Amino acid sequence: MAMNPDARIVADLIARCALRDRAAFRTLYDRTSAKLFGVVLRILKDRAEAEEAIQEIYIKIWQRADRYIAGQTSPISWLVAVARNHALDIVRVRRPVSEDIDIALDIPDAGPSPEGHAQARQESARIEHCLATLEPDRADAVRGAYLDGFSYEELAQRHAVPINTMRTWLRRSLIRLRECLSL
Amino acid sequence: MSEHEQATKGDEARSRVAEYVLGLLNAREHEATKTLIAASPALQAEEAFWLDHFAPLDDQVAPVSPPPHLFGTIEKRLFGSANRAGWWDSLVLWRSVAAGALCVAAAAVGFSVLQPRPDSAALANQLVAALEAEGSDVQFLALYDGTGEVRLTALSGAEVPGRAYELWAIQGGAAPISMGLVPINARSTVELSDTVRSGWGEGSVLAITLEPEGGAPGGIPSGPVVAQGAVTRI
Repeated sequence: MAMNPDARIVADLIARCALRDRAAFRTLYDRTSAKLFGVVLRILKDRAEAEEAIQEIYIKIWQRADRYIAGQTSPISWLVAVARNHALDIVRVRRPVSEDIDIALDIPDAGPSPEGHAQARQESARIEHCLATLEPDRADAVRGAYLDGFSYEELAQRHAVPINTMRTWLRRSLIRLRECLSL
Repeated sequence: MSEHEQATKGDEARSRVAEYVLGLLNAREHEATKTLIAASPALQAEEAFWLDHFAPLDDQVAPVSPPPHLFGTIEKRLFGSANRAGWWDSLVLWRSVAAGALCVAAAAVGFSVLQPRPDSAALANQLVAALEAEGSDVQFLALYDGTGEVRLTALSGAEVPGRAYELWAIQGGAAPISMGLVPINARSTVELSDTVRSGWGEGSVLAITLEPEGGAPGGIPSGPVVAQGAVTRI
């Protein structure tokens, strides 16, 4: 898989963390903590909470470094995913419980091929291109969900539409995004 | 199910994974979806697809340096005291691993009976060690055949690009002696050097470190210990 030099270094640092190399852990922290702290701060919008969260996040990174599989996701995406998931877990417990959707997930085996996937990854502008094919307010909603961790309720309020409308908007937008991203 | 219904269901499942990645699901849905993803390679590929495609959006978030003291707190929470000793100081820890080696010894005996039967004197000198370390997935089994050769088999572990695994003997508190680089994906045989042989016996410790390609500079271990174990009589 083609990986840019920076990603290769981060992938190597994660691998060394999996082998319990503490010096590598410090280097990884020095290299990536500002990015992850920015992401977490944007979602939590509270500095003290974000400082506590970033500690938990790097503890998870150390403990789960052996679960990172090079080639499945880019190392930066993996680190950001650990950070976002932790921050989203925190905001999720703040939210009221909404109605449940059907839990069963029945997916035909049609994931993107590894080749197509690696290729898509290199085109980093692709997400912007595909977001631009959506109506502007829907693209904004997708961005708000990803970057700010907004829930359906928060997005519905911000866009002044009923929550079910927002759900429909986003699900349709995600299906269209996926089609565009898979081209 | 009609083709159309099948396609719709597929879309629904895929947009659910996207909703999961975005963090839009409530706690119960989120946990349920996480469990489903963990069990399905197709859904894992779907998750990776979204993570990688959304990742460029992260560049729109300005990096913010966390306060400088945080890393010290993280180290303390993970490792206790922030001070750490050189790894070769942890012989006590290594000896404790010998108990684990005993558990694997039975497996090693099974392994050894597959080999041509050695003579009884050599058999009496056979030694075994299970090499492992907490937090590392690298595991080796070492079997000393009683005649001067150690056979090594990796039970788990993967190659690390640009790095090599190096085997060391530690005997009687002396500095580690390199026994050379060992492959992770093939069995190998290492002959004991005279220096190693002079102190060799039950209680000798074998350790594997991760070193730069070509081996530890100056014959002194520089990388982390990824597996270790004391040799035990079978």
